[in-house]
Amino acid sequence: MTQRDRAAGIARWGGVVTGLGLLGLAWVYVRALVYTPVEATQGAAQKIFYVHVPAAWAALLAVSVTGILSIFYLWLKDRRIDLAAAASAEVGVAFGLVMLTTGPIWGKPIWGTWWTWDARLTSTLFLFLLFVGYLVLRGVLTDPGIRARFSSVIGILGLILVPFIHLTVYLFRTLHPAPIVLKPSAPSLPNAMLVTLLTSVAAFSVLYLGFLMQRYALALLRELREEALASAQ
Amino acid sequence: MPSNAGFMIAAYVIVAIVVLGYALSLALRIRRETKR
Repeated sequence: MTQRDRAAGIARWGGVVTGLGLLGLAWVYVRALVYTPVEATQGAAQKIFYVHVPAAWAALLAVSVTGILSIFYLWLKDRRIDLAAAASAEVGVAFGLVMLTTGPIWGKPIWGTWWTWDARLTSTLFLFLLFVGYLVLRGVLTDPGIRARFSSVIGILGLILVPFIHLTVYLFRTLHPAPIVLKPSAPSLPNAMLVTLLTSVAAFSVLYLGFLMQRYALALLRELREEALASAQ
Repeated sequence: MPSNAGFMIAAYVIVAIVVLGYALSLALRIRRETKR
């Protein structure tokens, strides 16, 4: 089996996992919109929570994986680790876009404003822009070694921001609600809502894995083609 | 109970567009790369 066959195999399996994730997301839509009760004080807009929180979870997971892989790249200097880190970064930007669009859509009816420059929102936007910069940097730099080294540094900076973002609601006075599941005490959510939220977190996690596998396989396929072209010249 | 279902629908539509759009983009890029 050639390296190209292996990369194509990862892409195929990634497609299967993505398909499962999309089915899971479809079930989340049905469960959230039909079977989960409407919250009394916030109304239907509260249901945005079932896609906003899991998207934020997937985005922060993707950023964390990029940061951890970046540390390993700087240590081991394996180009496949760099490609996987970059794949996770792109997926993180996609989920970050979901997080940063659904948040304001919830904020407008509940807070009365689309956006406020409080610590949670500002640091999350900063992380998103940092990773957009990461992708732009990778597109501009042509030397693979320099590209991998520079982008690894940005990836690690992003990883440092993740715990800070989680703690902003405790460290600063902020409009953003405090965690209701990822906290030391038991989740403060009725059972039906909690099940919908956890189902959505699972669906977004599967989607993240599928997207990551596909994006990594794509990067491998591109690199193998470029290597074949270079050796043919 | 506040009537704000429009915001909920907008959010769910945007999530579907971004997620399906990204899934389609990946599938097309992989297909193009494997055909080369």
